[in-house]
Amino acid sequence: MRNSSFALILAALLATAACVPAFADERPGDPRHGKLVYQRYCLSCHGDLGNGQGEFAQWITPRPRDYRQGTFKWRSTPSGALPTVDDLEKTIRDGVYGTYMPTWFAIGHRARLDVIAYIQQFSDRWKTEKAEAGIEIPAEPPNDAASIDKGKKLYVALKCAQCHGDQGQADGVSAHELKDDWGNIIEPADLTATPSYKCGDTARDIYRVFMTGLNGTPMPSFVSQISKEDAWDLAHFIWSLRPGGANHPQPPAVGAVAGH
Amino acid sequence: MKTVREGLLSAAGLCILVVLASAPAHGFPAFARRTGLRCTSCHESWPVLNDFGRAFRDNGYQLRLGKDVPTENPFAFWPVAIRITPHYAYNTVTGQETDQGKKTLTTGGIADGAMDLLVGGNLNQNVSYLVVPTGFASDGAVSLESYWVYFTRPLADSDWLNIRVGKHEVDLPVSAHRSINLTNPYLIYGYHPAGDQDVAGVFSLGSNQRGVEVLGHDRGSFLRYSVSLFNANDSPGSRNAWDSPSAYGHVQKYWRLDSYGVSEVELGAFGAYAQYPTKTLTLNGQPLAGTGGDLRPSERYGLEGSILLGPAETPLRLELVLASGKDDKDLYQGAALRDGTWNGGFFEAIWVPPTDGLHWGIFGRYDYIRNSKQPLDVAKDTNDQDQFTIGVKYTLAFLNRDEYALHFEYSTDRMKRMAFDGSDLRVGTLFGGVDFAF
Repeated sequence: MRNSSFALILAALLATAACVPAFADERPGDPRHGKLVYQRYCLSCHGDLGNGQGEFAQWITPRPRDYRQGTFKWRSTPSGALPTVDDLEKTIRDGVYGTYMPTWFAIGHRARLDVIAYIQQFSDRWKTEKAEAGIEIPAEPPNDAASIDKGKKLYVALKCAQCHGDQGQADGVSAHELKDDWGNIIEPADLTATPSYKCGDTARDIYRVFMTGLNGTPMPSFVSQISKEDAWDLAHFIWSLRPGGANHPQPPAVGAVAGH
Repeated sequence: MKTVREGLLSAAGLCILVVLASAPAHGFPAFARRTGLRCTSCHESWPVLNDFGRAFRDNGYQLRLGKDVPTENPFAFWPVAIRITPHYAYNTVTGQETDQGKKTLTTGGIADGAMDLLVGGNLNQNVSYLVVPTGFASDGAVSLESYWVYFTRPLADSDWLNIRVGKHEVDLPVSAHRSINLTNPYLIYGYHPAGDQDVAGVFSLGSNQRGVEVLGHDRGSFLRYSVSLFNANDSPGSRNAWDSPSAYGHVQKYWRLDSYGVSEVELGAFGAYAQYPTKTLTLNGQPLAGTGGDLRPSERYGLEGSILLGPAETPLRLELVLASGKDDKDLYQGAALRDGTWNGGFFEAIWVPPTDGLHWGIFGRYDYIRNSKQPLDVAKDTNDQDQFTIGVKYTLAFLNRDEYALHFEYSTDRMKRMAFDGSDLRVGTLFGGVDFAF
């Protein structure tokens, strides 16, 4: 076979690539394909039965999600509700910083939809409960010193420090007594230690957590306790605690660490 | 003429022995132990990388979850793995010259296998490394196939500039060290036209090169480039500040189509310009290493394209790579009349059937070489080659600790006019074994 013949094949590939938008497939996920996606990428942590007891699960904290209850932390939906498909895809696509859940960006949108459809088969909740829409998140007000200061006061008033600590360093009085719905010991987030939170990187992500709570964990929804304006102030304060944030506390002196 | 054929026949035989004795390279269970992911996460059909594996490699073996630094690994974790393939091989060579005349030789048995010792991981955030001693066969020889450090995002918080320093595999269209087949190498990477081989027969894209690689990519590594500046492999060395200065470049673009019919299309281009000295200072008539001069090039240029049919998690991958090569006539130490040039390529198909557990991998490949100018006064089609490979792999277990698979393969290579009497030389290999990495 000559190179000229093969060059024609390459040209055909190029033409195919040029037609990419025409091939875009937005059909709902197919659980039959999703099972193979799951076997390729998810099995070692989430397990063959979707119970979060894959071969690697025993070695890691936090434990992988047990899909059988249909309980998911990261959602845009009200407390207790199932997540939307978009919520689940966000978690799969972006991963969960600080855990062993990778960023499955490279596997593509189609594979993510398919594996979500397969995951939904592990719990009857997806068959019996009506899907709820995500909460409405109002436009973010200015993230300034005044808002951060108000948020700091709310942090105290809402007793966030009980778990997250006075300085947001996950050393509150209840920090070491927390368990999730599956009986696993879990730790509150150290709000000062990492550049990324599990819920996401923006103040909007933090706002969403206040209003939806984290299902299956002691982190409640505050939607009935604070106004939307207060939630933004609190989100701005939390956001400021990150490394590089406006209100990031200085590391303690060496002597203080030793004394602790 | 006979000398030419004898030289090439010996070279062909040596290639076969080298391929059969060499352990296949990289599948790295230490990464699975560290990340908790099974081999299938990164390997389409082990050891061929999929999109996620390519992104993981380009990111410097990092998942970017805040757990990449060594101090985040369990204390008992060791970034070490082995890969070896105990196997039976049955080889046939037709047209072999013997004192008893032209014969067909057959040999078979459990091969004297070699092993890769894979050591790799992260030295710190955004600093990764790989060290691969290879060999350990009955001859006792061990060499460092790879040793490099890779700095991810060294100058800015951007994936478009990463730097690798050390002995590394250049960024080939299809990795020569991560091939699914275990018998025949990709012809275009190391082919040279007929002639007194000398320096002209040395350069191979499949050989790891000592140098610096600059690599960049977008999120997910769907658009990526690589430029390597290196000392050409096995050069006797020159007086230049950069030994035998050579360069390789590669660019790839993947289009994810998110369709069950055609899930991905990829196109790319690559080229290499390797230089070797053609004159050296001598001592007592023998060349002095590192004193070479009058560098002359050996070149490779090519295009590539691939397409994934079916869902990307169980694809039929069709890969086409075309290349042209040229060796400067001076590399033949004055024996050549002209530069040697050729065209070639390969077409590879790898299918992961959509079966429960993703155990199967079925593959086939056709390689060809067509000479366009012979450096010596021989027929134009001398040593034109056609090589076929088919095989099947059944992975018995995917765990996040190890992987082992049954591997069966048959390959055949026809080298035109390369038998001692001017007829075609044919080599065949039947291979069956257990391929494992732990």
